Amino acid sequence: MKDLFELSGQSELRSPSLVVGWSTDAGKLGSKVTDYLNKKLGSRDLGEIEPTDFSPLGGVTIEGNLVRFPESKFYACPQHNLVIFKGDAPSYEWFKFINLILDVAGHYGRVKELYVIGGMVFLGAHTAPRELLAIFNSLELKQALSQYNLGRNMNYQTPPGQRPTLNSFLSWVARRRNIPGVSLWVPIPFYLVAVEDPKAQKKLLEFFDQRFGLQIDFQDIDEEIRKQNERIAQVRDSSPEIDEYISKLESNLMLSEKENEKLVKQMEESLRGKN
Amino acid sequence: MGVKLYKELRLKNPDLIVGWPGIGNIGIVVVDTIREQIQAEEFGEIEAHDFFYPRRVIIKADLLKDLEFPSSKFYYKRFEKKDLIIFIGEEQPTNGGRMYAEGRKAYQMANLVLDVAERFGCQRVYTSGAAVAMVHHTLKPRVWAVPNKEELIDELKRYENTILMSEVEGRGGQGSITGLNGLLLGVAKKRGLAGVCLMGEIPDYLSGAPFPYPRASKSVLEVMSSILRIPIELSKLDNMDARVGEIIESIYEQLPEEIRERLEQRKFVVPTLGAITEDDQKWIKEHIDEFFKKGSKGDERPL
Repeated sequence: MKDLFELSGQSELRSPSLVVGWSTDAGKLGSKVTDYLNKKLGSRDLGEIEPTDFSPLGGVTIEGNLVRFPESKFYACPQHNLVIFKGDAPSYEWFKFINLILDVAGHYGRVKELYVIGGMVFLGAHTAPRELLAIFNSLELKQALSQYNLGRNMNYQTPPGQRPTLNSFLSWVARRRNIPGVSLWVPIPFYLVAVEDPKAQKKLLEFFDQRFGLQIDFQDIDEEIRKQNERIAQVRDSSPEIDEYISKLESNLMLSEKENEKLVKQMEESLRGKN
Repeated sequence: MGVKLYKELRLKNPDLIVGWPGIGNIGIVVVDTIREQIQAEEFGEIEAHDFFYPRRVIIKADLLKDLEFPSSKFYYKRFEKKDLIIFIGEEQPTNGGRMYAEGRKAYQMANLVLDVAERFGCQRVYTSGAAVAMVHHTLKPRVWAVPNKEELIDELKRYENTILMSEVEGRGGQGSITGLNGLLLGVAKKRGLAGVCLMGEIPDYLSGAPFPYPRASKSVLEVMSSILRIPIELSKLDNMDARVGEIIESIYEQLPEEIRERLEQRKFVVPTLGAITEDDQKWIKEHIDEFFKKGSKGDERPL
């Protein structure tokens, strides 16, 4: 399988922990959080998975005026013994792809712990505090992370007609390989799903900061949160209708489908490109 | 990736019948009906995680308890003269969003199924599925039979309500069998193993319907029952057929009169490709498919 991935250079990693984020995620959470970690920690390129076996490659997509090509990259932060993966979810050969992620990180000794990032849709207002939810693949890790207040005692089964996420698949494969792992989920207000949610990013980053002792200075992300709140406040000021919708959400009231659509459209138009 | 067998068996000249979901679920209903009636016993499976995306996650108290995949299971039943192996796959392995298996994964799956068949000394394999045809839903569906060896042709001609491709109007003996129902026969041929695909006719205008078409399954079952010499009780299928028939009739009544009149002609003439134009056919299919799509689709929840 070596031809499916390419490692660049040596690394001083020893049984690292692995953080996984997907490029396509609600509120761009996976890519934003991994990019932020890489920037703050000064990570360096470790290698990548070739897309040939996992994407149709029948051309390219265009996003934000730019050509987009499937990319699945690993970054190393030896100082904190971390491997960070940011990638596009495969279109097929999921099991093989997931195993490759664990193989590459495992190249530097058995992966110590796996952390998978995911954003989920939340039907409430952006002013509500962000929560961090966790699904563990091992009871030991659940106990080890009990101090972070992640437990919600959640029971869940995929409803008929729906499918589990790739994060669940990854966690399951990790367990088969005796790698303790956790899927970390932050609910993102539905009208920020297609743009960004720095508040959700910070929630996750705070967890990683504590868990890995990163000592991150969050001033920049605090500034982003402030700016976004300001922009949303401007939208509310200029549109009584949007203000009413958000107020309803803040009072835990549901919006109609039409109101939801209007709010999403207005927020995307106002926030897109300004982030 | 591989096969897990739960027990070692000695089987007597077994045949293999396989079923996968497909148009009108015609084939899988046939095979599952046989499995249920003869009370076949499960004895193995193909490990699913390398072929399929999971279909259900089970979380209890924040812990990922299990991940369930579409199953691909083997069953067996002993008979006096010839035993029977049954394989039922809940999904066909696909690349991305395609409905039918194709490519490397499909080839691997076909080979794994046939590995088991050969290991137990199978003599023949039977697949079954749908033959999309310009027929009317009130007519008894015929069964198109396609063997992978020439010496089987004469035998197949003897079964009632069964036709070869050369007898299908306007086909000239040509055609194709999509997905694993076809591929399995091709791989069997490559291995020198005899195989037959039995396809029940389904009207073109129902081929996109989201419900089974038991009328065609019943036709295939009648033929399969003769071939295997296993008596099959059809009353359960008759009940299913009656229920589905009511749904079809209610939809049929809603079709524009002009189109319905043209479809009605199919009741009285031997089907030919000229019964309605290709444009009409496309129109009917598009509009009926549209009608069926009106149901809601749930969004995926990210857990």
